[in-house]
Amino acid sequence: MRVKSGDMLLIAGFSGLMLTLYLAFNWAPSVNINAFQSPEAQRIFYWHVPAAWAAFIAFAVLFIGSALWFFKRSPLGWKLHVAGSEAGLACGLMAVWSGCVWGAAEWGTPWDWQDYRLNTFGLLTLLALFLVLGRQSQPDGVESRDTFSTFGLYGFVLVPITYIATRIWVIRHPGPVIAGDDDSSISGDMAIVLMIGALSFTLLIIGHIMTSVEITKFEQRIDRLQKELDGE
Amino acid sequence: MADPILELDKVTVRRGMGVVLQDFSLQIKSGECVILHGKNGAGKSTIIETAARLLPMESGAVAHHGSLVCDGQGRRLNPEKSFGLTLQSNCLVASQTVEQHLTNVMDLCAKSIDLKPILSAFKIANRRNDKIAHLSGGQQRKVAVIAGLIPAMVEQQPRLVVLDEPDSGLDDAAITVLVQTIHELRNIGHCFMIATHDSRLFECGTSLNDLHSEKTQEVSNDARWVVESESKSLKLLKTKIGWKYNSSTLVSVQRNWLAALLVMGGLLSIVDPLTLSDETVILMGFTLAPAFTLGLVGDAVFKILNEQRSIDWWRAQYNQVPNSYVESFISGLILTTISSQIFIQSVDYRIIIIGGLISLFTTACVRFLQLSTIRLTRSNAVFIRLLTPILILPWGIIVDYCAKL
Repeated sequence: MRVKSGDMLLIAGFSGLMLTLYLAFNWAPSVNINAFQSPEAQRIFYWHVPAAWAAFIAFAVLFIGSALWFFKRSPLGWKLHVAGSEAGLACGLMAVWSGCVWGAAEWGTPWDWQDYRLNTFGLLTLLALFLVLGRQSQPDGVESRDTFSTFGLYGFVLVPITYIATRIWVIRHPGPVIAGDDDSSISGDMAIVLMIGALSFTLLIIGHIMTSVEITKFEQRIDRLQKELDGE
Repeated sequence: MADPILELDKVTVRRGMGVVLQDFSLQIKSGECVILHGKNGAGKSTIIETAARLLPMESGAVAHHGSLVCDGQGRRLNPEKSFGLTLQSNCLVASQTVEQHLTNVMDLCAKSIDLKPILSAFKIANRRNDKIAHLSGGQQRKVAVIAGLIPAMVEQQPRLVVLDEPDSGLDDAAITVLVQTIHELRNIGHCFMIATHDSRLFECGTSLNDLHSEKTQEVSNDARWVVESESKSLKLLKTKIGWKYNSSTLVSVQRNWLAALLVMGGLLSIVDPLTLSDETVILMGFTLAPAFTLGLVGDAVFKILNEQRSIDWWRAQYNQVPNSYVESFISGLILTTISSQIFIQSVDYRIIIIGGLISLFTTACVRFLQLSTIRLTRSNAVFIRLLTPILILPWGIIVDYCAKL
């Protein structure tokens, strides 16, 4: 059986994630116990931050794919839209779930409906869920592709808002750790684990997108062959 | 040479994954009647719905009375003059009476006529005050066809009438009346585009178009329609019609009010407001929750218009379809007054107005989301409500603000 590059990246990314989990629980230093209500729960950040990072990559792919389909009617654009929404949903749910676990331990509540970062990121994940479920509820056609691409395009507006949310309105969610200001710097060992996590998630997401594009291509081929059999 | 009333210019339309129309052009002038009569799946309904601005185009343009109404760039402009439209679906609201429905169509044309002779000719005058739901399929089709003809019946100036299989379900007598009415209206300058397989309607056509070739023919009938109409006001039409739909069906009571009252009752069943007197934010949240719920259920009129593709009929005529914004605002005021009494034991007019505005804004947002998916084949099956949590954050901020008042 021929192993494709997408599969290789998926395997590499998954292995990296396992390594990240091991390092996060067994090697990364503990945080200052006075700085957090629940210092041990902070280790979830090695999973949460890379997952959110990967989700942003997926949403960018979703946006590019939506734009390519909407403006150029590019079949590759639609495949990227499908892949981006699926990957965005998977990574978005991982980030939201891990964030809820940490929030419950640190803040005493898993969710704050008045925190801008939580809500805008949660909404991005819901948008991805809507795109995945909505697409499955409709027959494939230019009508559904146009509609979902439009949502993909508009939804991307939330990405920069989500990113800057913690810089402008710090309510509960901590400030940025990637590309943040001087106060946001983290210690060397922590940064290494975080980078391994981010790299692993990036490999995983690229592998997923490549595999998903391939699967969509097969689905479209089956659909085309089905129509030929129907005599359309 | 007279300008065309309807012009389709190199129109390309895709449906599903296939191209149904490719660079299709057609012009219809005053006094002309084009019969589209291709085989099933040839694209007749696609032409009708494209001319009625219901289908987006890949390229090309559609103009009514010389003014662009939609094009391949995505522009969609309201037609300057109303036009007659009967789609394959009847586009009727079942809980309205025959007269109410036809009056709505006349309101859209800003004209009124005596309906009795028209209903008598089609033999449904005795059902004038009956609800459409109580009519047979054929009788409902008659109402839909009359609704499609009314914009021409009330106007001296040329109007466009687009009919998609108007004969479907009609008896022989009704088809004879329909053919005669089309002759009379065409003879005073109105123009028609009719998709049909019924050869009895072919005699109305000044040209027969099978989508590949066009054949002109002489029409000998000289009878003329006599227009006796009065002018009416067009102000706040969509809101007025939305109000009529709502009052005749009470759909906002059975959907929006019920949900809001259930939320209020549910909150009351789990907390005693008197024990929370220091928790102003929570009490304010409870006070404004029913108004928010009322809006989250969505626009009641939108729900009504989803029956039999009524919404498409309205979308063809106007970019903005009838709404229930007024009812939503008033309901929000009433509900917030009640919940203020229950949860904060006082009535502050500022909070009541904010409650009304919350209902109005939430209704408008949910309606916008629903309208965004209207083009989908199964728009009711799509999970659009997943996006409504976007409204929780602004609602929470307003609750915080109100708690400080």
